[in-house]
Amino acid sequence: MRKTSPDVLPAEGGLGNEPLLALEDLHVEFGTRAGIVRAVNGVSYTLDSGETLAVLGESGSGKSVTAQAIMGILDMPPARIPKGEIRFRGTDLLKLSEEARTQVRGQRIAMIFQDALSALNPVFTVGWQISEMFRVHRGMSKRDGMAKAVELMDKVRIPAARQRLNDYPHQFSGGMRQRIMIAMAIALDPEVLIADEPTTALDVTVQAQIMELLAELQRESNMGMILITHDLGVVADVADKIAVMYGGRIVENALVHDIYKAPAHPYTKGLLESIPRVDLKGQELYAIKGLPPNLLDMPPGCAFHPRCPYRQDNCVTDVPPLYEISGTRNSACHYWREVLDGDNR
Amino acid sequence: MGRYIIRRLIQAIPVLLGATLFIFAIVFALPGDPVAALAGEKRQDPAIVAIIRDQYHLNDPLLLQYWHYISGLLFEGDLGKTFAGVPVSQLLAGKLQVTLNLALVALVMEAVIGVLLGLWAALRRGRATDTGILASTLLLISVPTLVTGFVLQLWLGVWLKQVTGTEIFPIAGATQGLKSYLLPGFVLAGTSIAYLTRLTRTSLVETLRSDYIRTATAKGLSRRRVIGRHGLRNALIPLVTYLGADLGALMGGAVITETIFNLPGIGNQLYQGVYLREQPIVVGIVTILVLVYILANLIVDMLYAVLDPRIRYE
Repeated sequence: MRKTSPDVLPAEGGLGNEPLLALEDLHVEFGTRAGIVRAVNGVSYTLDSGETLAVLGESGSGKSVTAQAIMGILDMPPARIPKGEIRFRGTDLLKLSEEARTQVRGQRIAMIFQDALSALNPVFTVGWQISEMFRVHRGMSKRDGMAKAVELMDKVRIPAARQRLNDYPHQFSGGMRQRIMIAMAIALDPEVLIADEPTTALDVTVQAQIMELLAELQRESNMGMILITHDLGVVADVADKIAVMYGGRIVENALVHDIYKAPAHPYTKGLLESIPRVDLKGQELYAIKGLPPNLLDMPPGCAFHPRCPYRQDNCVTDVPPLYEISGTRNSACHYWREVLDGDNR
Repeated sequence: MGRYIIRRLIQAIPVLLGATLFIFAIVFALPGDPVAALAGEKRQDPAIVAIIRDQYHLNDPLLLQYWHYISGLLFEGDLGKTFAGVPVSQLLAGKLQVTLNLALVALVMEAVIGVLLGLWAALRRGRATDTGILASTLLLISVPTLVTGFVLQLWLGVWLKQVTGTEIFPIAGATQGLKSYLLPGFVLAGTSIAYLTRLTRTSLVETLRSDYIRTATAKGLSRRRVIGRHGLRNALIPLVTYLGADLGALMGGAVITETIFNLPGIGNQLYQGVYLREQPIVVGIVTILVLVYILANLIVDMLYAVLDPRIRYE
């Protein structure tokens, strides 16, 4: 995709009171043989330095596609961005040339992927892969790059970093591999770090360690972090605010403590109720009935209406806008008041 | 690694014995009398025939004959003598070099052209270039070597020489160094180029879909570096296996190509050996081919460990 507007790289310090990252009515669709898959349908959110935004949603809700659109790593085609803006320090990334985009990618906005085993290249040593960031982007020599790699591996607390520099990804445990992924992502002190389900492939104790590490790194560097997850348990400790996605839209966004206190969208409520709880041990686990929407054939009106216990007639016909509940909170439900009041259905 | 190599070499012994015995038995079972063939139409002195038959152990049973041959080969490195009394090793010495040259030229052409075409097709996947390359490889696969051989000999060897007035591609013999091998090398490599092109394309397309390629892009690397360093390095692994196994196939396939271009290699010699029922020649050549196969496969497996760190032999 070639853009003709002048290439102005986003200013280092940012402009005025523009947020660090702002998504504005972002749409992403995929052209497939079966038709157009509308994966993201008008997503807007903002992120400031030092802030952690958790993007929550089940598979196919569009949360990863949104992240890939920010990174600019969608395969286009089949993907298309027909509408929307991704402003990074005031500059719309979608209007930049591919070269300018490459300058932002990895250096200023970095990303961590879900499965570090497949996300790391199996034929290069971890030292080589981390130091590549310094060799390519900072023009460092191999030796200096490797020294930097050791520093980073120490920073993400990989034991005996120097000895493990020349090991390959498959020689590490899952948790250590994810640490390497993190080291690579934070190598050039990015301003935004996107973590796409960073702990999904790990066991529970390791999950906690990785989340702790991410939170700590963020505090040190004051970067903005987008944490994509489907695990509400992971979110509570680290996130400042939450955006819940369903069917390619944001259905609720709120500060983290507000949402745990009282959800304002039936879907969020369902998610919260489906977390296993010790005090309800022995009882059947709650599950949201029905299936996620078919992105090729979205239901009319509110995408959640076929599964919603609060459904009324107008939910089937009218798409709910993002109602403003307070300055920091929105819900895309016609009946958010009833949901918020804890009116149980 | 050292232990692994030794184990592989020991495993090669039964393969070699089995292959030679098999060929020995087949030539043994061929109709006709090799001693009678020596004299052509003339009548032979029964006494001389008896001496030759005795000298070459032709009256012994198959297994004993095989033992005479294989013990000479294993303990003295002796490939035996032809019925005309020429040592087979001496007969094959220069010819093996010709065939090896031909196979290596073909292998290099295959690797270079196949990988480049495959790469090009993969990067233009779904577009006209890709379709064009795939269609022409299909053509190359379906036309037999005999046809491509004679057609290219006529077009590039004869007609091109008439048009330009200089001989760019010699059409026969191995007297002009590398130049003599270009045309036969290409003809021999033809189908292999086609297969390797398709294999490269598939392998690279598959690799470029991997998660680590997405990671490399997310690192802010240029597309050239993502494909050239991160993609190609991984896509090469299956190609090495194919190339290694193909060296043996190319040496075997040299029989036809050497005949078309009149190259004095072992392919030509093998044909004559079978025709004259010269057991020592046929078995000798097959033994060498089997050895080349075994060595090529061993080298491939070693390279595999170098290219893919996940594979370790211990």
